[in-house]
Amino acid sequence: MYRRSARGRVLLLALVALSIVLITLDFRSGGGGPLADAKDISSAVIAPIQRGITAVTRPIGDFFSSIGQLAGLRSENARLKAELQQARAQLNQMPGIVADNERMKQMLGLRRSWNTMPTVDAQVIGVPPDNYKWAVFIDKGRADGIREDQAVIDPEGLVGKVVQVGPHQATVLLLIDPQAAAAAKVIGGPHPVSGLIQGNGASEDLSLTGVSGNESVSVGEKVVTDFYNGGIYPPGIPIGTVAGVGGPPGALERTIRVQPFVDFSSLDYVQVLLDTGRNPLLYGKGRHGHR
Amino acid sequence: MATGEARGNLLAEIGLARIGVIAASVVLALALQSTLLVKLTLLGVIPQLELVVIVAIAFTDGPRVGAVAGFFGGLLVDLMIPQSTVGISALVFTLVGYAVGTFRQYTTADSIWTPVLVVALSSCVAEGGYAILSVILGQPWVSIDYTLKIIALVVLYNCLLTPLVYPVVRKALLRVRPERVYRW
Repeated sequence: MYRRSARGRVLLLALVALSIVLITLDFRSGGGGPLADAKDISSAVIAPIQRGITAVTRPIGDFFSSIGQLAGLRSENARLKAELQQARAQLNQMPGIVADNERMKQMLGLRRSWNTMPTVDAQVIGVPPDNYKWAVFIDKGRADGIREDQAVIDPEGLVGKVVQVGPHQATVLLLIDPQAAAAAKVIGGPHPVSGLIQGNGASEDLSLTGVSGNESVSVGEKVVTDFYNGGIYPPGIPIGTVAGVGGPPGALERTIRVQPFVDFSSLDYVQVLLDTGRNPLLYGKGRHGHR
Repeated sequence: MATGEARGNLLAEIGLARIGVIAASVVLALALQSTLLVKLTLLGVIPQLELVVIVAIAFTDGPRVGAVAGFFGGLLVDLMIPQSTVGISALVFTLVGYAVGTFRQYTTADSIWTPVLVVALSSCVAEGGYAILSVILGQPWVSIDYTLKIIALVVLYNCLLTPLVYPVVRKALLRVRPERVYRW
């Protein structure tokens, strides 16, 4: 009995020591190193399981949510058909405008705009099992052209960026994570106002920091990604609308709340922009050109 | 030397089939937690199914198995969370597994309330410890209110899961009981 519990204590001490070694290793290597590789391997192993479970459980969820919506479906259908017709008419004029726009941008040496970049559609297959981290796992990876730091969008706007890539899966850090940030500008006022968008978790709005009190920003104005030298997001991707402006006019800095366009609680499909939008003439091959 | 001996004996004592069951339940718990349970949240909070399973294993098999299962289960959780410090959950779950396994030796009651209480206490300690260590190691901090809300809801949700999860894990483990019977 004595020997057994003594051995238990030795085992406990060994495991605690090992954990502390791991924490130290990971803390010192700062997101790279052997533990980052271990993260890649473990997500590659667990991804097929997640894919399987998602494939089984998604139709069940869809079925229940569609029962709830049956009543409004007929009128919604009519409304959507009318909208579709209008959208088709507008769409017919688009390719010409887009081509003109791109040609002029190239002539001016500007970045390629985000909505003409090649993209990959990806399905969300899981979420990290943690209440302090806002990210999603997607079912596309290096084999599909995905690299770290690429922007991720959905039809509503900016979702986040790729932070980890495996052969056939990747991890996207959502914009609402406290570690996520994006250079942004408020448009709609007399002139665009630049700042930094930061996440505050799922239950709070985004905050826009670094806006001087002299700038005029009002509720309802749109916020989009801004060009920033060395930043990763292509400019112009919709982020959200200003939901609240705090601080008196003339204060050193305003506290601005931004309600995101994207519904981060129900992400099913996202698009990854395969290009960072850096103009090859201005930025060489880019940070990830060597891969 | 002593550690190697302890490990070797532990493997022989538990048996390969049982190790298989423990590994499978730890991996399956995490897979379920990161797919199904992230959709079935309680007021937006994801339960720690992994912790409930580790408590069930430790409560059935004692402190040494509890500590090892906690270490590897926690390590898997750490590896699943992007941009987190690897080793925090491993450390916390190791301690919880060992403590629960040790506590088991002092209980005789066969009621379902005992594991529920143990899960409640473990969840409180594990979530609190995880939050404190994360912040010390420089993870971004939302707010104290948010953290307290998370801890309270995780404890509640884990307790609700216990009557469903604990009997299943226990039954699976007892089914592959090794032939040699040990008196603890």
